[in-house]
Amino acid sequence: MGADTQRRIFTGGSKYVLDEELAKIVNISMALEMPLLLKGEPGTGKTMLAHAIAESLHMPLIILNVKSSMKLVDALYQYDTLTRLNDSRFGDSKRDVSNIEEYIRMGKIGQAFVSDERVVLLIDEIDKADTDFQDDMLDVLDQMSFDIIEIDKTIKAKHRPVVVITSNAKKDLSDPFLGRCNFHHIAFPDQEMMSKIVRVHFPEIEKELLESAVTTFYRLREIRNIEKKPATRELINWIRALQADPDFRLRDLQKGQVPYLGVLFKKSPDYSVAQAAVGRFRI
Amino acid sequence: MFVDFFFSLRKVGIPVSPTSFLRLHKAMSMGLINSLEDFYTAARAILVKSERYFDLYDQIFAHVFRGVELKEPTEIELGEVARALLEEWLRDPQGLSEALGLNQQELSKLSPEELLQYFLDRLKEQTEAHHGGSKWIGTGGTSPVGHSGYHPGGMRVGGVSRNRSAVKVALDRRYKDYSQEGPLTPSQMGEALKRLRHMVPSGPKDQVNVEETIYQTMKNAGEIEIVFDRSLRDRLKVILAIDNGGWSMEPYIDLVQTLFNYARAQFKDLKTFFFHNTIYDYLWEDPPRRHKPFPVDQLVKLDPQTRLVIVGDASMAPYELMATDGSIHVEERSGRPSIERLKFIAETFRHAVWLNPVSANEWNYTATIRYIREIFPMFELTLDGLEAAVTHLMRKDN
Repeated sequence: MGADTQRRIFTGGSKYVLDEELAKIVNISMALEMPLLLKGEPGTGKTMLAHAIAESLHMPLIILNVKSSMKLVDALYQYDTLTRLNDSRFGDSKRDVSNIEEYIRMGKIGQAFVSDERVVLLIDEIDKADTDFQDDMLDVLDQMSFDIIEIDKTIKAKHRPVVVITSNAKKDLSDPFLGRCNFHHIAFPDQEMMSKIVRVHFPEIEKELLESAVTTFYRLREIRNIEKKPATRELINWIRALQADPDFRLRDLQKGQVPYLGVLFKKSPDYSVAQAAVGRFRI
Repeated sequence: MFVDFFFSLRKVGIPVSPTSFLRLHKAMSMGLINSLEDFYTAARAILVKSERYFDLYDQIFAHVFRGVELKEPTEIELGEVARALLEEWLRDPQGLSEALGLNQQELSKLSPEELLQYFLDRLKEQTEAHHGGSKWIGTGGTSPVGHSGYHPGGMRVGGVSRNRSAVKVALDRRYKDYSQEGPLTPSQMGEALKRLRHMVPSGPKDQVNVEETIYQTMKNAGEIEIVFDRSLRDRLKVILAIDNGGWSMEPYIDLVQTLFNYARAQFKDLKTFFFHNTIYDYLWEDPPRRHKPFPVDQLVKLDPQTRLVIVGDASMAPYELMATDGSIHVEERSGRPSIERLKFIAETFRHAVWLNPVSANEWNYTATIRYIREIFPMFELTLDGLEAAVTHLMRKDN
């Protein structure tokens, strides 16, 4: 069900500019039936790529958002013990309490396996989980099957999903993990590419505003000693803020003033560092 | 066969596994690779698993496939490759013979010496055939087959083709910045910070995990089982001592301070001190080292569990470290040589490290670095060094 809703939302507009190199890698990974591991700074569109693949191949997309507390079994299936206990005590549901299978619900990987059509499985931000999770998960993806211990049943994938894994960390994942994936690193878009991306989001934007905003944005990214540099998402929100402000004059931006700095720098130490640096901007 | 490409990658330190090499062959045999561009991209995705090797990969690729500064391999180099092949063969005969298309049965009969010779001969053939050798994956990327459509559901490219040769792309060295070598740079700040995040002690397991308890209890058919988690209340105290005298340290002071300040939230307490070249009787709380002296003797009053991180190039004239009145600042002379003070500090704080922006392979050329290394475990001020230092700091007491 989750997959369906996501599909409806994201197949909407093509907001992803796919480069040739990446397309090749996606094709090869699909042909070799290997998961594709994507790394890169936040805001380089790792997650969007999975959406783009799903859209262009007309496959449903299932997203597993990895959390640090997550255990592998959560991604495979859940055994809803509480509901079962409740049912056994009050007995007012239609479920058969003695049949455990009725209390098993598929997790995201499980859903991808039992789906009747081939799906794109996006495993987002794998670096948040611990190494055990990562290695165990690849075992499951290798064998394309897992066991539900409670009912002693093996779930086999009906169709091998296209697996895309993203990671933010520059810290390397474990060797066995890497050994089983294909790898690509998406570099942060350059100024030209960024202008294209912004234009996709703001087709109406004035050329001058676009240029100054993007130039300012890249200057801000160069400020030293920033922990979290502003990324694409921040730029887009910032431009939205600029456009919404009736008092905003393009000339101020060209003079080196940066309104709404807080939209770009969200951590307070970063904000004060950036503010000090902006004070020295001159064009 | 791209044995020399494979081994060039291995030789410069990119961890390329034979299995992934096999996989690349599989991709080629499936007809997925129709041009040198395809090969460049595919080989990188399949063989290289971290962006920090991308730059090296680019260089090797350009090297092997365009002959940029390529020298004909000497007999000795070939010998080395042959030996590596032999090692690989001894470890995994089947894997290697499959990857290289050799006859395992036949080779098993050979003695190690004969095998070595056999590999050597094969390699010589390789290098002689080298210039024409790359042809079979395409002739410089004018393949009409292009990128799309081999697969019924294959992806098609939406963007504009760059129309540049793979070697040119490789020569761009687009991934230079991601290479992990060299001292810490501001752009690696976020990453360095992540290494510091490991400086979290594991407190006692004394917090009840309610959800897990309920789950386990249910699994036990109602037999109560209480699950505990570790509490992280018990946070670390950290002292950062920075050498801020002299131009050699200049680029790193801000960086290191910012780094630890950002990480501050996870520490119980972070003190920053300054010194010049080495430590005598005082550390200074103010960067100009003038107004707020902190007597080194007072350090014993602090928690001995405090983690001490010293950042400095440890490079100075030997007398500054060894002589009784070694300090170049007259007012700091106290009659005790600095090396004694350093030993005292190292005894006070058992968890101490020295981070040095000087690259490790130069350490042996400076006498004072050698002396100080005997007192403090020294690590390079690089991402890897930082990680090793944090691991060292977080070692369990024994």
